[in-house]
Amino acid sequence: MIKHQIYAVSALILSVALTVAFADTRLSSGQITNSLAGVSDNSRLDLTAAQMRQAVMDNIQNYPGAIPPHPLTFPQLANLAQFTVEINFDFNSAAIRPESYRDVGAIADALHNPILLGYGFLVIGHTDSVGGRQYNVGLSQRRAEAIVAALIDPFAVNPAVLQPVGMGEEQLQDPAHPTSGVNRRVQLINVGKKFCFGRSGEQFQCQ
Amino acid sequence: MAAGEAGMNKIAIKLASSIFVLFFLLCAIGPSMAQTLSYADAIEQLAGACGGDLRKYCRGVELGGGHLKACLDANQARMSGSCQQARMLVYASIARRAAAQRDIGDICSADIARLCGTSHADAHLVECLLSVSPAAIGPACNQAFTDTGWRTERAQQ
Repeated sequence: MIKHQIYAVSALILSVALTVAFADTRLSSGQITNSLAGVSDNSRLDLTAAQMRQAVMDNIQNYPGAIPPHPLTFPQLANLAQFTVEINFDFNSAAIRPESYRDVGAIADALHNPILLGYGFLVIGHTDSVGGRQYNVGLSQRRAEAIVAALIDPFAVNPAVLQPVGMGEEQLQDPAHPTSGVNRRVQLINVGKKFCFGRSGEQFQCQ
Repeated sequence: MAAGEAGMNKIAIKLASSIFVLFFLLCAIGPSMAQTLSYADAIEQLAGACGGDLRKYCRGVELGGGHLKACLDANQARMSGSCQQARMLVYASIARRAAAQRDIGDICSADIARLCGTSHADAHLVECLLSVSPAAIGPACNQAFTDTGWRTERAQQ
């Protein structure tokens, strides 16, 4: 009888240990918050989402090819606090797959952290090289918009601080393996303090 | 082994497994009663409890824009019991946390003015509310602060 009780207790300890181990491997909102919080300064970013979209189109036109021969870079964004996460979508669709719901929720937890309150964020969608470059710009734009839509509803993030941008395949994470899954990712970039909130939620420009 | 002892063993195993199940139920349900779930935990519970139903009835439906909730609501009669229950708990928890995060500045305005010297629901407010004893702030403010999740999230960092 004691033996059985020992088994039951060991099973309990083992499953708790497994739960803890499992929890450790998952993306935490604390990781995201810390990555997004270390912003260098609060100076206004001299680059709009519209200019980024134009730069993507120019890159496709100026450097034609099945795979971008010339990766697009934005030096203005290089030193800003950012976080990259792989989000799974249905094939050729902007529907986030249920296995990625948790990670979208973790992004929302981070964006609601008061440390990040008032900062603006670019939400940049990236695809792999499967499919045409022009098509991929549209797909990644719709996917970035789907992330933003989920952050707003159900997760109640202020729409005014989010700006979706589709980068297509113009910035491959792993150019040596352009069809690899690591290229399909969503990047959040803290573009600085744009908004402050009064205690009734009213917004005003900081500074 | 005597027959009586074998019977006792069965009872002991049953008891142990009941305690085991109860322990995990309490772990899962406890926090959603006393405080709100993080958005990550909330939506993960929904995806877990409704996995099969989502594949069957809401395949390709977008999480955002209220589309997933609308699909769950429209098909609730066909969903499994655990999915129906998760749907109610999860969306209620998300709404409660979101409302607390939005309204804490208003709910706590008197306490903030008295204790913190700020009128804004910002990082300074959280530091301040964490630094004072829960007994020093009003119960509504205390509950709202718990519901924001910022008490524990801050501690985890």
